[in-house]
Amino acid sequence: MAYPEKLEKIIALFESLPDSGKREALISYADSAPRQGPREGETFDLEDVRKDEECTDTVGVFLKVSPERHCQFRVTLGPQVQTLTKAMTSILSKGLDGLSPEGVMDVPADFVPRIVGADLVRQRSQTVYYILTRMKGIAKVWLNRERAGKAAAN
Amino acid sequence: MNDKNYAHPEALVSTEWVAEHLADPGVRLVESNEDILLYDTGHIQGAVHIDWRSDLQDQTVRDYITPAQFADLCSRHGISNDTTVVFYGDKSNWWACYALWAFRLFGHTKVKVMDGGRDKWVAENRHLTRAVPHFVHAKYTAPERRFDPEIRAFFEQTLAHSRDGKALIDVRSPGEFRGEVTHMPEYPQEGVLRGGHVPGAASVPWKMAVNEDSTFKSADELRRIYETEAGLKPGEDVVAYCRIGERSSHTWFVLTYLLGYKNVRNYDGSWTEWGNRVGAPIEKGG
Repeated sequence: MAYPEKLEKIIALFESLPDSGKREALISYADSAPRQGPREGETFDLEDVRKDEECTDTVGVFLKVSPERHCQFRVTLGPQVQTLTKAMTSILSKGLDGLSPEGVMDVPADFVPRIVGADLVRQRSQTVYYILTRMKGIAKVWLNRERAGKAAAN
Repeated sequence: MNDKNYAHPEALVSTEWVAEHLADPGVRLVESNEDILLYDTGHIQGAVHIDWRSDLQDQTVRDYITPAQFADLCSRHGISNDTTVVFYGDKSNWWACYALWAFRLFGHTKVKVMDGGRDKWVAENRHLTRAVPHFVHAKYTAPERRFDPEIRAFFEQTLAHSRDGKALIDVRSPGEFRGEVTHMPEYPQEGVLRGGHVPGAASVPWKMAVNEDSTFKSADELRRIYETEAGLKPGEDVVAYCRIGERSSHTWFVLTYLLGYKNVRNYDGSWTEWGNRVGAPIEKGG
C-alpha cells in the first residue's frame, strides 16, 4: 500500500541520506518534538493523555478533525521518552497531517525501518511504533463516535 | 567516594570529579546508553560513544567481540592500555556498568563509573555538547584472551551453581521473578517463552542499590540489602542475572566494587537464554 504523500516525502528524504545523515535528521526531528504539542487556544475533538506500559513516559495525543475530515494531530511527550520516539512524533505529526481518519488507520507501520535504518531498529526500540499506534487508536475512537452519531441520527 | 565506606571507592567518581578531569589526557569518558540516539543529542565534552550492541557484541553470534576487535575499538577512541576509562550513561548507569564489565572481560582494569550517571549530570545543569571528539589513534595491545572465566557465567555454570545451592541473585523486577510477566514494565517482550526464575535465586531488583538521583547507596545500606535481607555472605561466589545482562552488570558492579566481593559473575545469557532453553529448571512464585 502507498504511504500518504507527506509521509512518503519524509521517507524519501531519509532513504537518500547516508547513515550519518539519517542520525542527524532524526536528531533534528527529535529536537522539534516539543513543538508538536497543543498551541495556545487550540481545541480538540479528542484528547488521550496516558502512561502505558509500552512507553517509558506519559504520551498525550490530541486530535482535531476538520469538517472536510482532515486530521490534525498534536502530541505531548514526557521527559523520559526516548529520542527515536521523539523523532517519530515529529515525523508522524507532519507526515499524517491532513489525512482522513480512515487514511490514518490505513497507514502501514513498515515505513519505520526505512526511516530509522536497520542499524537503529532494535528489540528495545519498538516504542518507535508506539506513537503511530496511539494516533491510530484515537482516530479509531473518532470514527466510532462518528458512526455512533450517525446511527443515533437515523 | 570514601565517605560511603565502599570496598573500592576509587571505582566511583562524582560528577564534580569528571568536570575537573575533562582535559585530563589520561582519562577517557565513555557514554553508553539504552537510548540509541541520546549521545547524539548532547554528551559530556570529550566523551566518546560506545554502544553495547554494535561496538561490544559480535554482530552475528550472541557473544562479544574478539580481543583484537576490542583493541581496535579502544585505539579508535584514543584509549590505550593505561587510560583510565570513566563510564556513564542513561538508566542509572545500566549500560555504563555493562560496558565497564565488558572492558573487564578484556582485562582493562582502569575503569570507573560516574555516580548518578547522565541523569545526575543533566540535573546539575552541567554542560553538554554535540561536538563529537576525534582522538589520535592510541596504541592498544590486545589481550591474549578474554577474562570470561573470572567474571562471566554461562548457562551450564549457572545451572551447576543452582544445583549446588550457591548464591544466585535475580535482579529483575518482582513480577518477572515470580513469573507473572516475561518483560519488565515499559519494555517490549524480548522473546522469552517461559517466566519464572532460576531455582534458588534470591530476588534483589537492581534498583534497590540506587537512590532517587541514581547514585549508589552507601556500603552499609547495600550490605543490609544484599547480606542481611538477601542472605549473601561476604566473599561468597555469586552469579547475578537479569534478562539480557545489563541490569545484572549493574549489580555485578555493586557487589564487586562497592562491597568488595571477589567472585561475582554476570550471567549475561540471563533470562532470554534460560527462559527459552529446553529443559531448563524453573521456579515460579516467591
